[in-house]
Amino acid sequence: MDSLELSTSLSVDKAEKKNQSIRVRLGRLRDSVCESGIFVLTASSAIIIVFIFIFILIKSWNIFAVNGINFVLKSGFDQQIIEAYHAPADKPVWHFGALGLLLGSGLTTVGALLLAIPLGIGTAIVITELSPRWMKGLLQSFIRLLASIPSVIYGLVALLVVVPFIQDNFITSELQLQYIKQFQLTGNSLLAGIAVLSIMITPVIVALSVDAINAVPHRYKEASLALGLSHWRTIVKVIVPSAKSGITAGIILGTGRAIGEALALSMVSGGIGNIPNPADGGVFFLTPILTLASAIINKSESMSVPSINAALFACGVLLLVTCTTLSLFTKIVERSIRRREGLE
Amino acid sequence: MNKKKIRDLMGEVMSWLASSITIAACLGIIIYLFNMGHAQIDIGFLTNEPATTLETEKNGILTPLVGTLLLTFIGTLVAFPWALGTAIYLSEYAKRNNLTETFRLGIDVLSGVPTIVVAIFGLAVFSNPALGFLSSMVEGVQDVNRAFGRSFLVSGITMAVMILPFVIKTCEEALKSVPDTYREASLAMGASKWYTITKVILPTAKNGIITAVILGMGRIIGDTAIVWLTLGGTLRMTGVQPWWRPDNWLSTLKNTGSTLTSYIYFMSPAGEGHQNENAFGAAFVLIIIIILLNLLTDFFMGSKEIGK
Amino acid sequence: MVYSNSGSIIISVKELNAWYGEKKALSNINIDIKKNSITAFIGPSGCGKTTLLRCLNRMNDLVDGFRLTGDILLDGESILSKNRDVIELRRKVGMVFQQPNPFPKTIFENMALPVKENFGNVRREKLEEIIETNLKAASLYEEVEDRLDSSALRLSGGQQQRLCIARALTINPEVILFDEPCSALDPISTMKIEDMLMELKQKYTIVIVTHNLHQASRIADEVAMFYEGQIVEQASTDVFFSNPKTQLAQDYISSKFS
Repeated sequence: MDSLELSTSLSVDKAEKKNQSIRVRLGRLRDSVCESGIFVLTASSAIIIVFIFIFILIKSWNIFAVNGINFVLKSGFDQQIIEAYHAPADKPVWHFGALGLLLGSGLTTVGALLLAIPLGIGTAIVITELSPRWMKGLLQSFIRLLASIPSVIYGLVALLVVVPFIQDNFITSELQLQYIKQFQLTGNSLLAGIAVLSIMITPVIVALSVDAINAVPHRYKEASLALGLSHWRTIVKVIVPSAKSGITAGIILGTGRAIGEALALSMVSGGIGNIPNPADGGVFFLTPILTLASAIINKSESMSVPSINAALFACGVLLLVTCTTLSLFTKIVERSIRRREGLE
Repeated sequence: MNKKKIRDLMGEVMSWLASSITIAACLGIIIYLFNMGHAQIDIGFLTNEPATTLETEKNGILTPLVGTLLLTFIGTLVAFPWALGTAIYLSEYAKRNNLTETFRLGIDVLSGVPTIVVAIFGLAVFSNPALGFLSSMVEGVQDVNRAFGRSFLVSGITMAVMILPFVIKTCEEALKSVPDTYREASLAMGASKWYTITKVILPTAKNGIITAVILGMGRIIGDTAIVWLTLGGTLRMTGVQPWWRPDNWLSTLKNTGSTLTSYIYFMSPAGEGHQNENAFGAAFVLIIIIILLNLLTDFFMGSKEIGK
Repeated sequence: MVYSNSGSIIISVKELNAWYGEKKALSNINIDIKKNSITAFIGPSGCGKTTLLRCLNRMNDLVDGFRLTGDILLDGESILSKNRDVIELRRKVGMVFQQPNPFPKTIFENMALPVKENFGNVRREKLEEIIETNLKAASLYEEVEDRLDSSALRLSGGQQQRLCIARALTINPEVILFDEPCSALDPISTMKIEDMLMELKQKYTIVIVTHNLHQASRIADEVAMFYEGQIVEQASTDVFFSNPKTQLAQDYISSKFS
């Protein structure tokens, strides 16, 4: 250890002393250079998000300048893209409305959460409380694997398994004829989107819920059992409520994933920004839809048209704002955990 | 009394059912890919380039494999020092003040940004003419002065931005798990702070840092959105041929190509390739890589995480 | 060695041996616990007194690798037999832990949870009555009556422990086990809890683990001293402290009292 050399014997001659003091000074210099170096790295990591906002806002500025709030209130995105694509260069089309995409993102996310929350919390309960010890590690490895499966694989499997399943079981030719004027019923639908998204975000909810439940002090469990509550009632009434904040954080993170998922959804959800009509009954779920994130993938081939480019960046702005809000919300939830822990 | 027991049992059964569905989904995907994809895998599939025209040539995934490798390498090369430096600063130097809190907030918000947004950000940044040296300039079109904005270099750097917050967070956790007594012991012996970090803390946190890097690599390998927008839609390498000759490497990096993920997308009905067997073959290779990376992280994380 | 003294016996431990994995924690324990009395388990740390206490309501079932032989009878029935309902047992044998462990809920919810879970849907007035009675029994009511809806974690350590005692009372146990209930508390809180224990023994049987001999001598009726997993001496408090029979007990008392 070279710094130990600094404190060797007392009888060092002067030349050596001088040498040492130079070495010490060099050491200090190196320390401060390194410190400022990593400070710059940190600052640059943190400032990227600002650049993302600036770049994406600049690229989409015209859309918001032309459409204002109507960008999120009007629908017909697909048609507008086609119009813009075929518009002559001197008369570009700048009117876009992304309401359909916004609803598509909202519906797929809510649907996926409705499935993934019970799946995720149930799985987390099994991992933390119900499964025998040897099984816990195995289950968690599977959950980690599920979380790391690429979205294109989810998309591929859903496209070749879930979509045909929906087509064979829920869609008849009469039904197709009935809706032919509005959209084609192919199995690529809101339902397929929800199915693939829910499996994609379940591991996120599981992972955070497992951490949260594991962090619940063992003494709460003991107290509850000693009061005559069964193991299950202890889980439901004491353990899960005590892990509420962490589980909420997992759900918010899952929500962010669901909103931001572009590729798998672009493969299975239909690619057309219809607005599902609740009056259609079950067809509501069979409607082909498009989300904000998958629209960027689906329409990217027309990006050479400046107005379409701007419109897709505007979708990016909506995504960015939503996800930033969710991140800030998670921060608030985390802070409330810390405040509670501070009390103990 | 009995009613209560039945209710409890119902609850436990529902939980087991939920976990069975989750695990079945995971196993189901892997088994399905194996069934559909394993027949496709042979030496030719791994060593041939994707066919340019249908049926005439043997179709393979050599360039997508190399593309995935290139992106993983560039992305990790950029992200790792950047993330580790940031993690060291945050865990060892940062004082609890507003500046640090702002830094943390920025990194947290970045970690919540969807990859598709990072992808269009990359596109926006790298189509700037000043950064034309990373891809190439768009020439021959009247009134257009911009960079092409798509290449392995561009895509790799964008990937680095995507994994950056995640790698920072995982590295920081690894550094924080080093007990304070180690720091105190080293500092008490008269070692400087930087010496303590490089010779005591980093070696102790080694496994956690390796885990962070592997997990980051996994994210790059699995990503498609960034590839789609910043690498583009060509299956073969578009640089000077033959792409593998060392003197053409720079040209390869500055041009476009494909990765396993984009290959799968193009071969699937969604990419209108309609060569499902090739998509499954590549997907099988991809999932094997992902499983291996997972086993590797399990190994490096050891029993610490799993036993909990 | 069955204790031959008056007073009906509620718990009877027979030939109990216990292990944590390979490590033997209790050997050949025989002890009877009398109704409406305070029995104190004393001895140096790691001697097995807490292990025995946690056997009495089978809390050690939670510990991996724990096993035992022998028998424990509550009201003449074995609590270790296979078909014994552990939940019903824990309802009869309540427990208060070393560290106060109120749930991270309001004071009211802390009290209401065991009532609702054990007696089903109780009318609101009845529920409030039960809570008030038991908070009074734990001499906490005056301190918290106007803030029942605030978090139990905001209470002081002593108040939290009294809340845990009140909470244990809500399910009408026959026996209450105390695992060093005052070790985390200041002297004033300790005094309050000791006074309360003296009151509670009118209605309940109390078993307390303590390594505070003063405390044992102040409140206990019976004392059992543990050493290395065995009971070395058990006697009524007066006899134990004035005239210990074994050398170990004499040494322990003199070292702790001097």
